[in-house]
Amino acid sequence: MTETTVTPERPLVVEETETKPGFVGQNVPRKEDRRLVQGQGVFFDDVKRHGMGYVHFVRSPYGHAKIRSIDVARALEVGGVYGTLTGDEVAILTDPFFELSTPPGAHIKDYALAVGKVRHVGEPVAAVVASSRELARDAAELVEVEYEPLPAIVDGEAALAEGAPILHEDAGSNVVWSGLFDWGDFEAAKAEADHVVRIERLHFDRFSSTPLECAGCLVEYNRGTGQWTMYCNHQMPGVGAIWMAPALRVGIDKLRFVTQDIGGAFGNKICLHPQFVACCLLARKLGRPIQWTEWRTDQHTANAHGNERTFLDVEVPVRSDGTMLGFSVRAIDDCGAFPRYEPLGCIIWAQVTPGCYRWRNIRVDFTQVVTNKSPVSPNRGYSRMQHLWLTERIVDIVARELGLDPVEVRKRNYVQREEMPYTTPNGCVYDSGDYARCLDIALELIGYDRLEERRRDAEARGKLLGFGIGSTLDSGTNNFGQSTLLNPELQFSGNNEVATVKLDIFGEIVVTLGTVPQGQGHETTAAQVVADILGCTPDDVNVRPGHDSYWNSHAGLSGTYASQFAVTGLGAVKGATEKLAAEMRKLASLVLGCSEDDIELAESQARIKGNPEAALPFMALGAILNANNAGLPTDVDISLNARYMYRPPFDLPDKERKYGNLTLTYATQIHACLVEVDPETGGYEIVDYAAVDDCGKRIHPQIVEGQVHGATAQALGAATHEIFAYDEDGNLLTPNFYDYHVPHALDMPPMRNGYIESESPFTPLGAKGMGEGGGAGIHAVCAALSDALGKTVTRSCNPYHRVWELMRSEDRGVTVESR
Amino acid sequence: MTPESSRTITVDVNGVSYERDVEARKLLIHFLRDDLDLTGSHVGCDTGNCGACSVLVDGVLLKSCMLLAVQADGASIRTVEGLGSDGELDALQQAFSDHHALQCGYCTPGMLVSATWLLERNPRPSEEEIRRAIQGNICRCTGYVNIVRAIQAASGQEVSE
Amino acid sequence: MLLREVEYARPASVRDAVRLLAEHDGARALAGGQTLVNVMKARAASPDVLVDLNGLDELEGIELGSDGTLEIGAMTTYTEIVESAEARARPILGEVCAQIADVQVRNRGTIGGNVCSNDPTNHLPPLMVALGATMTIRGADGERTVPAEEFFLGVYMTAAGPGELLTKVTIPAGKGDGFASLPIGRDGTCIVNVAASLDGGAPRVAIGCVDAVPILVRPESAEDDAVRGAVRAAGLQPPDDVHASAEYRRHLAEVLAARAVRAAKERVS
Repeated sequence: MTETTVTPERPLVVEETETKPGFVGQNVPRKEDRRLVQGQGVFFDDVKRHGMGYVHFVRSPYGHAKIRSIDVARALEVGGVYGTLTGDEVAILTDPFFELSTPPGAHIKDYALAVGKVRHVGEPVAAVVASSRELARDAAELVEVEYEPLPAIVDGEAALAEGAPILHEDAGSNVVWSGLFDWGDFEAAKAEADHVVRIERLHFDRFSSTPLECAGCLVEYNRGTGQWTMYCNHQMPGVGAIWMAPALRVGIDKLRFVTQDIGGAFGNKICLHPQFVACCLLARKLGRPIQWTEWRTDQHTANAHGNERTFLDVEVPVRSDGTMLGFSVRAIDDCGAFPRYEPLGCIIWAQVTPGCYRWRNIRVDFTQVVTNKSPVSPNRGYSRMQHLWLTERIVDIVARELGLDPVEVRKRNYVQREEMPYTTPNGCVYDSGDYARCLDIALELIGYDRLEERRRDAEARGKLLGFGIGSTLDSGTNNFGQSTLLNPELQFSGNNEVATVKLDIFGEIVVTLGTVPQGQGHETTAAQVVADILGCTPDDVNVRPGHDSYWNSHAGLSGTYASQFAVTGLGAVKGATEKLAAEMRKLASLVLGCSEDDIELAESQARIKGNPEAALPFMALGAILNANNAGLPTDVDISLNARYMYRPPFDLPDKERKYGNLTLTYATQIHACLVEVDPETGGYEIVDYAAVDDCGKRIHPQIVEGQVHGATAQALGAATHEIFAYDEDGNLLTPNFYDYHVPHALDMPPMRNGYIESESPFTPLGAKGMGEGGGAGIHAVCAALSDALGKTVTRSCNPYHRVWELMRSEDRGVTVESR
Repeated sequence: MTPESSRTITVDVNGVSYERDVEARKLLIHFLRDDLDLTGSHVGCDTGNCGACSVLVDGVLLKSCMLLAVQADGASIRTVEGLGSDGELDALQQAFSDHHALQCGYCTPGMLVSATWLLERNPRPSEEEIRRAIQGNICRCTGYVNIVRAIQAASGQEVSE
Repeated sequence: MLLREVEYARPASVRDAVRLLAEHDGARALAGGQTLVNVMKARAASPDVLVDLNGLDELEGIELGSDGTLEIGAMTTYTEIVESAEARARPILGEVCAQIADVQVRNRGTIGGNVCSNDPTNHLPPLMVALGATMTIRGADGERTVPAEEFFLGVYMTAAGPGELLTKVTIPAGKGDGFASLPIGRDGTCIVNVAASLDGGAPRVAIGCVDAVPILVRPESAEDDAVRGAVRAAGLQPPDDVHASAEYRRHLAEVLAARAVRAAKERVS
């Protein structure tokens, strides 16, 4: 790797791989920007149709209740109300959504509207459609619903307790899925250890990325063809269709998803199928386009939180020199009222079983339960973040208990660069990385050598300084075969993404993607890849924005999720472009009368190598095939319209041993932070921050940097104030941005960023997916608070009141048994 | 002086005059987006916190979700659609693109309006002043890092690291 | 997000405004709207008639008297207070207003709206009580004044009753003021806030966020112990909510009261 020179004042360290000529690796201007900075983006709510009806959902005010009756008569009397939909209709017209789990979770019945009972506050119970938004809202108040409240469960452990109210009678249990993961030999490791550190309880709090644009759709039903078109922001339409089509009792081709611009998603727009099905039914029933806009309170209350997870009875065998041999834990995951994408979260953490560490003996007893809270969705960092928080808490708590240096203990336990590719105890392969180097850079950026000086300075101002590290991995490009480790009956494995590239009659290059971008710059990065292969510039490449099922450039697992675009999306683009390039060379060879090997593509031409006079501009190629092709041999297959499906190299995992490679790439995030706590109030500030990222080859460095900044901000929010807290009746106490405080511009600490590029040996471009981050900011802040207070931090979110409680309570819940 | 449940209002938006009948209860943001088809300003919350709806009303930076359309009768409004001219980006818009100050673009119109308001009053703001000016604009994508840099660049100042 | 039907009036004078408020039972004054519009979006309250006070010159402006008294029109915005040369006669006013939320809110939110909505977490009610401000209320029967410490009656309830309008706030001369708070995030909602003033004899310490109205405490002296003791003796019974337990708010009240008084002392010296 070459080292880039850095001027001392710039706290930016970049170590890039060798610069190859081309657009990949450069900061080309983003194609998306022009329309977005002019307010000309098309987000779903910008789309209008003549005669459209606006939907307002009547939502449950109870966390848990039977529905005794629903009466829409008064709502229907209001002028301008077009119609309604209730759960009774839904239960007749649709089948329950496909459940991924084994019994008992398999028996859960999930419909577009509540059927028979409600299981979380905000659950849609009925829908009213009217000629204006306000009217729909007014009419919704006239829908009379009679409820019989039931006791609510708002805690994962309580869901498992003897005699706990059961949410889903069909399942007969609040357990969605449970299983034991056991790799290596944990008991032997315990016997061998010099110390066993036991941590009673850790809890990863409930929060989400709360994308600024809420969910929504405008659905049109074509009565002649029976097809629905949904202008929407569903970020994983492949899977959305798999849920919706059987429920609606139609073929997949009857569902057309169209997206253009999406105002952030972060995993929150994956489980929109219930509301979308309600809108589809209404569009068909009422014979008009149906528009649904989710409002902020709806999103917080009833659409998609991140997984909440309790870790109990953690045991960590440690040698005296600080080498950890593994850990054992009992995990309880609270997925809210309906599983939906769950129980995949019960296995996805296993992509990073030992975190960044060389731990070989790991035992996880994992149970997922339903509670009367908002259902979860694969929120940014999905399931890995929760698990990586556990591994980081383990490292810091063990270090504290045994009087070891958290930096040294990490370096001692980190997987080393030389060991890459590294196979974890459960068969995942970490492709590349240099964690120790990243940590060193982070320490340098934050001025670790001046830590004690800063501590004294803080003390002089009456503050307690704390320092913390968070090291995580962003595992990307899923092998869906991991689902079979939860449910052997499931027929999912591998992954796929599709792209098409064509050369049109006037020489235009047009790309369509199967992905669903929400700000990650897919149009731009796709154009970079195409430009390098075809020998033109990104400006010559027209990438259609968004996703449209009609383009037929998608597959079953298409979407934008799981940190994989740089691998799957761009892999598909690369494959399609190489196909197109081969056809262009073939066509040129036929026209110019030479061998294909003599043709090169450069400067937007196909020409004979060494003879630039013999050249066909792209426009000529496109025109010949599309309009002027007499005389060309008919037995040569050329269409100048290439479609390619990228499939990552995965095998089916071993279901017995729960063993196999679950993700293709592993990006590294090593963060460090400094906090200052006001010991009188418990208030604190993050005063300095360093983030080092390694995602292999950076296709567009600015885009990578932007993702790092954004993921860090979200993690800092989750560490400080962002928590979805409930009262005992299942009411969400933080339903809006007043009480659920996200970082604003003045809340951000100074950010010092560093990058290295450890290319992935497994991917088409050496790039790794990135963007989710692993929640490193959360881990770093917890560690820093622990350092400042000299207390064990056991919750992921630490608002001021929690810090204050921590300060005045005795530190307990951790014991050490030593030989 | 009789209270009315709807009114005819006249507003100037980005130099164009509009006369419309509007319900008293309609928020200005919905009037702009739904009645005038100016969908550049966005809705990101329902409690006036996020600033995605920010516009200039008679030169004053406001959240258009916190104003009734009828209150804007006779006012001169500037939205993101009124920045730049003839399809040419202004310095701020160009700086936002150059410095990757937008990812999904949803908060961007509000950010640009707030930044425009700032630079028109304070042509060379400090970093703290920039952050104060956009404190009422939530972004979930960028962490604000590049937004601050873009505004510094647009004001002809050195960009912080 | 979407308001119920409402009727709207834009009076041309304060007299018309008062008349409209008196004539319609469910009428509410619309000041900056930064609280009321939110309340209406949530449909937590839905007035039948909104009487828009924006544009009424009589309610705007800041006058500095020769004796140092400030008269602030109820429709003066936070931004206007922050930027006003006159208001600098009592610097704490601009300093506190500058901490409220963000530019957009400050450009529209008003001192009158802030005190009349009397949200327990607002900044200005405790400040007005600490400064010993006087509220001028106009009704159908004419005008009256109410001292700040008698103005706040309950959550969202003040002495300006139905059919009445707060027209101006009068701040006596002084400089020995302090304000301390613990907000959720920079310029966010306050968990507890305290305003203190040392002018006019014994310290006046007004605590916000701990009750339906600001709690005024009069410690014997400006010493830390005396201040904290006085706060403890007040027997505060703050609410428990997602941001703080009652006990935590009680603790914060003590700490922030001491800080507010210390800040006031620094200004006096």
